[in-house]
Amino acid sequence: MFCLLTLPASTAFSGFALLLDGIRHPVFQAQSIQVRLGDGHPGAGQLEIVIAEIKVRDYVWKDVQLSCAVFQYKSTVIECEDGYVKIPELVSFPVSLHFYSDTQTIKIKSNLTKNESWTLTLQWKGQSWQGDVTIRNVSLDSIAEWLPDLEQMPKLRSGRVNGTVLFSGSETDLKSAVMDLSIEALSFSDQAGLRAGENIQIAIKAGLDRSKHSNQLYWHSEIFWQQGEVFWQPIYMAAANHHLSMRGVFDGEAMHLLDGSLMFAELGTFQFSGVFDISSKRLRVFELKANKIQLSTLYEQVLQPFLRDTTFAEIEFTGHADWTVRLRDDAVQSIQLDLDDVSIVDARNRFAFYRINARIPWLHEGATIVDLRVQNGHVLKVPLGTVRVPLELNQFNVFLPQLALPVLDGLLKLENFSAGYTEKGWRWKFNGGLSPVSMEALTDALQVQRMHGTLSGYIPEVRYDGTNVSVNGVLQLKVFDGSVVIHNLKLIEPMGLAPHLKADAAMRNLDLELLTGTFSFGKMEGRVDIDVRNLELANWMPVHFDAHLFSSSGNYSRRISQAAIENISALGGEGAVAAIQRSILRFFEEFRYAEIGWRCKLRLNICYMGGIESEPLSRYTLVKGGGVPAITVMGYNRVVGWQELITRLLRITSENEPIIQ
Amino acid sequence: MNNCAKYFLLLSLYLLFASMSMPGFAQANLEVNTPAITSIKQRMQSRHAELVEYYNSGAIGLTQDGMITVRDANAVSLAKRQQVNSLVSAENQDRNALYREIARANNHPEWESKIRSTFGQRWINLARNGWWYQSGGRWVQK
Repeated sequence: MFCLLTLPASTAFSGFALLLDGIRHPVFQAQSIQVRLGDGHPGAGQLEIVIAEIKVRDYVWKDVQLSCAVFQYKSTVIECEDGYVKIPELVSFPVSLHFYSDTQTIKIKSNLTKNESWTLTLQWKGQSWQGDVTIRNVSLDSIAEWLPDLEQMPKLRSGRVNGTVLFSGSETDLKSAVMDLSIEALSFSDQAGLRAGENIQIAIKAGLDRSKHSNQLYWHSEIFWQQGEVFWQPIYMAAANHHLSMRGVFDGEAMHLLDGSLMFAELGTFQFSGVFDISSKRLRVFELKANKIQLSTLYEQVLQPFLRDTTFAEIEFTGHADWTVRLRDDAVQSIQLDLDDVSIVDARNRFAFYRINARIPWLHEGATIVDLRVQNGHVLKVPLGTVRVPLELNQFNVFLPQLALPVLDGLLKLENFSAGYTEKGWRWKFNGGLSPVSMEALTDALQVQRMHGTLSGYIPEVRYDGTNVSVNGVLQLKVFDGSVVIHNLKLIEPMGLAPHLKADAAMRNLDLELLTGTFSFGKMEGRVDIDVRNLELANWMPVHFDAHLFSSSGNYSRRISQAAIENISALGGEGAVAAIQRSILRFFEEFRYAEIGWRCKLRLNICYMGGIESEPLSRYTLVKGGGVPAITVMGYNRVVGWQELITRLLRITSENEPIIQ
Repeated sequence: MNNCAKYFLLLSLYLLFASMSMPGFAQANLEVNTPAITSIKQRMQSRHAELVEYYNSGAIGLTQDGMITVRDANAVSLAKRQQVNSLVSAENQDRNALYREIARANNHPEWESKIRSTFGQRWINLARNGWWYQSGGRWVQK
């Protein structure tokens, strides 16, 4: 319904007013449209249109005004000069409008500022239409006002657009469009600054064509990121000729991405394709392929920020990876990951694996076999040799029936290794054994005092619960011609910042000659048992234990050298050897003893020492003499700082000379 | 002595006295030293020099539970925001480890949360003027 309030009296307008209740269109709705035409410049009138409300989809604008200071109506031309469009609290801009009825063309131009303008030209013939938009240096600030104000979305801060858009169509259908735009000095940020971009320059080239014989819309686009930087928590990226290109078809029901390619400089190229169902908003199918991806860049730019709180927070990656990921109905169906000469080195030197080559297939349903080879590496300083690992993968479970892992000159045999991923992270367990490893090689690798002999043993079930490694059963080792049984072994956060080890150990029948020869302590012949209870290491250094060293039962030679006596007495404190005995030392190289004993209860860096018996007195017996010549060594220092004790031992063993106090 | 070392010396003295007067777990020795604690403290001390710039600018602040967090990423250039995240993450890992190790060294792992809150308050007390800290869920500038 509309009302014509005043009719023109002559060709020179004296007044004209029109009131429309509303216009309805599939794309937009307008309500209460007032058109007023009045006198203006000579030969021209003034036009003012006020629309109470315009609604386009979910957007509503009120009191939209178009005014023309110079409005002319000629036989074939309608002109609006010095016009103005105003949408309160949103946007207002100057505009000029020309309508040519003979060519059925409308031209709208807006000079927003001196250097900022846009022009829209639209021409139609019958049911067909075509047009173009030319944009020159238009600030994105005004566009930002049009964008929905969502708290979680970054806000557009600045930017300028240049370029052209050509389009054509028929009736309500778009037939073709070509876009060539460049965006410069683009900046955006959310309030917290966690998703922000600065000084970004991108070029966009895109186009679409409707198929003549079907209702399919073919489209393609290319985006070049030429300048600027983006921080999108937690990833930071700077422009370096990164390039995205995509080509596809839209059939009204689904968006078919025929092929896409994302090229990140220094990283590699990702290719992808898929079908996105519009109505269900689901990925029907999707495939992502990556070839020759540089893992060093992938780790630094993408993975590391996500791995900050894990064991892999500080590692160095080298090598390349290829992978293919296939999705169906939003779920990953298969992954094929190939590693090519990859090395992983922990910056904190806890582990390293060199020259890994692997083919790792994974299926959403069904089992696969991984073929993984590692040239060499180390874990907690223990070197590992070349190994081939035929892992079985079944969804999020890993199984390895048997593996012989070279450790120095021995073999660590793993049996029934199984691992599974749960909500609380990875869990794994295995059992196995250690075939003889030379102690020389092991102690050299661990950079501790060189020891002789071999280390071998049986490993019962070892289990990792996501934080701790525990051994169910006893760990049996052979060392110094004796045996070691370790109970209650538990590693707390072995790869954490402060790993802890707890255990009880019982060593039996150790050969003293091998033991003391190892530590250059002075020769001692005999056999000893050592009980270490409540042992706790923090950062691989002892912080707590109850240790008791005592002579093993049985018949064996019990001799002690002069140097060893001096060293024991040095550890036991001043005056450990009675003065009368001290003089005897000069005459004999070796002495006989009946029994030796030493106790240390370590608490908060203090070693509370004792000897053969739990004597309550201030002194205690370290070596009880027996036979000829015999000697007894007493200890007088009950309380010794652990560091002081270690320092004394180091001095003794490094200088290889006794300390006489 | 540089500022960083002074900051840690002050903290050490403060905690020495704190350990004497802490209600609820009066026997807690917050100055206890183990190899693990020593290495954690050394890492924190060397990192502190890098963090000071961001404490000063207000990019990071102290939380009540003895940790630090990114308060205003806008105070840091885009290129450095990732580095700040890394520093904060590494510092918090060390702080968590420190509280846990002190509790373990006292032979009372269950004291970890009390030690954490005690440290949290002490870090705030020692913060320089201009630094930000959380109080009652809000940011306050000292």
